[in-house]
Amino acid sequence: MSDDEHSYDEAMMEDEETALEIAALQSENLLPQPKKEFINHKAALRALVDEISQKSLKWIQRCDVTSSEPIVVDKTENDLDRELKFYQQGLEAVVRAQLEVQKAGMPFSRPDDYFAEMVKTDAHMARIRQKLLDQQKGIQNSEEAKKQRELRKYGKKIEQEKLKEREDQKKASLDKIATIKKRLRSGDLGEVDDFEIDVDSDGDGGKAKGARGKKGRDGKPTANKKRQLKDEKFGFGGKKRGLRKNTADSTSDMSGFSQKRNKSANFSAVHKRGKTKRPGKAKRQRTN
Amino acid sequence: MATLYKTAKSEYQDVDDVLEEREKRSDVKQRILMVASRGVTYRQRHLMNDLEVLLPHCKKESKVEAKQDIDLLNELAEIQNCNNVFYFESRKHQDLYLWVARAPSGPSVKFHVQNIHTMDELKMTGNCLRGSRPVLSFDANFDSEPHLQLLKEIFTQTFGVPKGARKSKPFFDHVFTFSVVDGRIWFRNFQIVEKDAQTGGDMAKTAKPTLVEIGPRFVLNTIRIFEGSFGGPTLYENPKYISPNVVRAAVRSQKATKYASRVADTQDREARVKANPLPVDPLKDVFE
Repeated sequence: MSDDEHSYDEAMMEDEETALEIAALQSENLLPQPKKEFINHKAALRALVDEISQKSLKWIQRCDVTSSEPIVVDKTENDLDRELKFYQQGLEAVVRAQLEVQKAGMPFSRPDDYFAEMVKTDAHMARIRQKLLDQQKGIQNSEEAKKQRELRKYGKKIEQEKLKEREDQKKASLDKIATIKKRLRSGDLGEVDDFEIDVDSDGDGGKAKGARGKKGRDGKPTANKKRQLKDEKFGFGGKKRGLRKNTADSTSDMSGFSQKRNKSANFSAVHKRGKTKRPGKAKRQRTN
Repeated sequence: MATLYKTAKSEYQDVDDVLEEREKRSDVKQRILMVASRGVTYRQRHLMNDLEVLLPHCKKESKVEAKQDIDLLNELAEIQNCNNVFYFESRKHQDLYLWVARAPSGPSVKFHVQNIHTMDELKMTGNCLRGSRPVLSFDANFDSEPHLQLLKEIFTQTFGVPKGARKSKPFFDHVFTFSVVDGRIWFRNFQIVEKDAQTGGDMAKTAKPTLVEIGPRFVLNTIRIFEGSFGGPTLYENPKYISPNVVRAAVRSQKATKYASRVADTQDREARVKANPLPVDPLKDVFE
């Protein structure tokens, strides 16, 4: 019975369409009106039934069962209701037929060890089973997908929270470092350096100038900071191949970027103004 | 000696034996000739094959072209020793008509077959023994009208597999249901399942069996009932029957009316404008 809920076939659709068409057409009186007189010789039909009737035969030879109640379907288009009525009619007939067959002393159901050719071949039944399995699988898959979608939504939220937490932590530790630095600079050296960080060495421009002319370990003068950076960037000795190219890592490396510095008035002002430009030629000639 | 023995034996024969023998002799012979017209579509042909598989007492003939001389089928039935004929007549490669006739003396019925679903379709999961006898279940509506009574009798004799028919099996594992809904006859074929669906074991004695549909499905719309076989005087005409040709023509004409009405409208308008010319404005040329 459950099959009836599934989609109709083409034929069913077509026929239902035609039924609808008929209804629509009849309402508009477009179909030829049925003629008035229809033949229905009831007496002759009854006589004919009596003539060909095999009522005298035993039930076991006729095997017919008439339902106790006539089928009444409100709407023929309602598949489920209609098929249910047919099912009930069949079931009633089967129950009554079982009794009749028993009465006649004949076997009703086949014994378990009775094997014979079936109406549908094994291959066909396998296909039916496969289709059922596929259907079941499809339902399961869609349900699983739905669940995953929900989980993903939830998971995203969790991930965002975690990232935020990490950022907060980072900020907090940086703040701490900054306060320690400040304290050190102001000469308050009473406290022990908890972090063992060489706070002076990281990126303070003023100190680099002072280091000019310093001798290295082997007596040679160390290059100034700019030279060092340029060497680093463009290479000084060693293999160059591939080193001067951007890689995914290098592109996404944001270590040299500081949002604070970028937003600071000083930095942006420099960029906006630029260095004092050499005046144009005309201007120069005028002043000279 | 032999004759003496026979007469002696017959004298002492049991009354029961005689009765049994008489019953055996009264076994009805029903044989169906199944013929298709030329031009059946695959679906119609598959329906015919399904019925052939389900009814072991039928004999399939090759396709015939009997548009004019439908009497030919009576002769064919006689040659094949059949007393019933199922003639599947296909028109325009789309409409299927089924003649069910008792050859050679009649009556015969012409149906329009609609909503065909064959056993090949995978949504019907039942299966039954090839050649087992069906229980014939009729809707109580069949007893309401004489023509339905006649149809019931004809169906009992054709769709019922006679007891002891060749290639038939003496068990009942499926049920044919015939129901009257919407003035048409709906055919369904169910498997009788007497096993527990979950465990596969036997069901309790009191429990009702369940039904699983095997197929095919079709709906028969009675057109006419004739007294003879493939002809003779009409005994019944279905007042509700509308030929599919008429339906199609009406649909076409309805589509055509859209254009026709538009043309008529424009013609109307033109005529109206011509009939009622605008009155001449006396002040029209004042400013010129």
